[in-house]
Amino acid sequence: MSILRLVIGRVLLSLLTLLLVSIIIFAIIEVLPGDVASRILGRDATPETLAALRERLHLNDPAIQRYLSWFGGMLQGDFGNALTSARPITEILAPRIFNTVLLSAVAFGIYLPLALIPALIQATHRERPVDHGLSVVTLILLSMPDFLLATVLMILFVIMIPVLPAISLVVETSTVSQYARALVLPATTLAIVMAVYAVRMLRDNLIEVLESEYIRMAELKGLPRRKVLLRHALPNALVPTLNVTALNLGYLIGGVVIVEKVFGFPGFGSLLVDSLQLRDVPLIEATVLIAAAVYIAANLLADLGAILLNPRLRAG
Amino acid sequence: MMAVAQPTMPGESRWERVARFWRRAPNSFRIGAVVLLIHLFVAATGPFWAPYGLSQMGTGIPLAGMSWAHPFGVDQLGRDIFSRVVHGAHIVILLSLSGTFLGLVIGAVVGLISGYVGGWIDEILQRLIEALISIPFLVLALIAIAAAGPQLAGQPILIILVVALVYAPRIARMARAAAVDIATRDFVTVARLRGEGAWSVMRRELLPNASGVLLVEFALRAGYAPVLIGSLGFLGFGMRPPTPEWGLMISENRALLIVSPVTVLGPGLTLASLVVGLNLFTDGLARILGRTVRLADA
Repeated sequence: MSILRLVIGRVLLSLLTLLLVSIIIFAIIEVLPGDVASRILGRDATPETLAALRERLHLNDPAIQRYLSWFGGMLQGDFGNALTSARPITEILAPRIFNTVLLSAVAFGIYLPLALIPALIQATHRERPVDHGLSVVTLILLSMPDFLLATVLMILFVIMIPVLPAISLVVETSTVSQYARALVLPATTLAIVMAVYAVRMLRDNLIEVLESEYIRMAELKGLPRRKVLLRHALPNALVPTLNVTALNLGYLIGGVVIVEKVFGFPGFGSLLVDSLQLRDVPLIEATVLIAAAVYIAANLLADLGAILLNPRLRAG
Repeated sequence: MMAVAQPTMPGESRWERVARFWRRAPNSFRIGAVVLLIHLFVAATGPFWAPYGLSQMGTGIPLAGMSWAHPFGVDQLGRDIFSRVVHGAHIVILLSLSGTFLGLVIGAVVGLISGYVGGWIDEILQRLIEALISIPFLVLALIAIAAAGPQLAGQPILIILVVALVYAPRIARMARAAAVDIATRDFVTVARLRGEGAWSVMRRELLPNASGVLLVEFALRAGYAPVLIGSLGFLGFGMRPPTPEWGLMISENRALLIVSPVTVLGPGLTLASLVVGLNLFTDGLARILGRTVRLADA
């Protein structure tokens, strides 16, 4: 069973990467240069407050011991307490993660048609004005920073056509319709950024597939065009696009940081920025490690998907 | 398609050669090059002809909107946005290019060593590169800035180092792949049999042959660097006010977006046009060198 070994190997590699990432994060934040406590307190530091904070963060223990207890706690789901609010980090994280997962799910829902439809139009109208036009549009969108795209959408749908709220603030008691209104703009921004990458790749893949012999065969057999395209060409063009989707998931984790901040959406990304601004070291470490873990998991799934979808490997 | 390394025609001057290259270059290369030249021109000469000073106040009615005197409007403090955008051009371009270049140098050295030397050094370097890439790049940039502390915050050198930190592992991965590929060729074996040391092989055989990959990689990353720097500025972790960095300007003027959207769109679209130019140029460059570009960032 070579495929089983391949899968196990890939999983182990991901775990090793996660371990290394945790060491890197810990090293960047706690070991590198100078003292965490004086960095947190900044100009307000007095010898007493410094000593008290050092005690509270266990900074007097050796770095290795601190790392082990931090990572060990994390493995048991115990992230410790946040510095600024003294609440357990898991309690702070839970609603934020829920919001961001919801946002990402809506964004992915918008992303799929946004990627598929233009790519299908371009591939079937290859080198015609529609194709060139869409290429220019995707290139411009590709070059547009996400914070600018978010701001442009805001100008369009909040200021010029005031239909949506400027600030996507939701609380636990928000109704479904409040949630929906809050999610439209951030989700659309994320979806457009992700779709632009996918459209360009999917167009090229589709064109390549459409030129292959089995598509010609299907056409000669007299199958309707729509059926050839959707049944025969699209599934084969989608496989290489799987990679882009994994990359997009990676983008999404960074993208939510910006987009949530722009729209004031209380999710995981804005929590990360807030914790950095407040210099809440335990909260920073927890959010960054989770972000990296999600990214590693997404890549692992994409690789496993590619292994399982590859008939040559599946047969072996 | 190949437009490089054409044989010199007899009796052809250098200018004629450049003109011939230009005629044969793909459209994306030509449009990108023109856009980039305009940006470089503005960056180099802007501070001498910008209508107003970098943080000169009282140039017009605050938030008055677009006019001939103030094409990008006037901000809350009465500063002319167009002048600030022009003054900021060299900052954005210098930070992007130097950060990406530092990342390229580090990435190329690490990648070539990893790919050529192999063995346990390669294993360790690869795992380390993989781990660094696994931290979403914006998150990595943010924690590095937070870790640098208040003394370095807002300093250009910090931005350059952060851009390099984000790009070096990504470039190293490409350089390693190129090195592994080149190392199997005959001329490398010959060089080794000739008794050249590892360092000399890397410098004389690997580096010249990987230069195409590295050039495209540099252009690709440099094209994204203004966005990364802008994002950091936008979030308040990049350059500090009153530096006219475009991302920072967008975030400064966003609070009054509803009154004067042009103060945000001016710097925003200027940033986008720079990135469009860089992307087109990279696409054209890759076509000339006969490579495909991956537009997505891994």
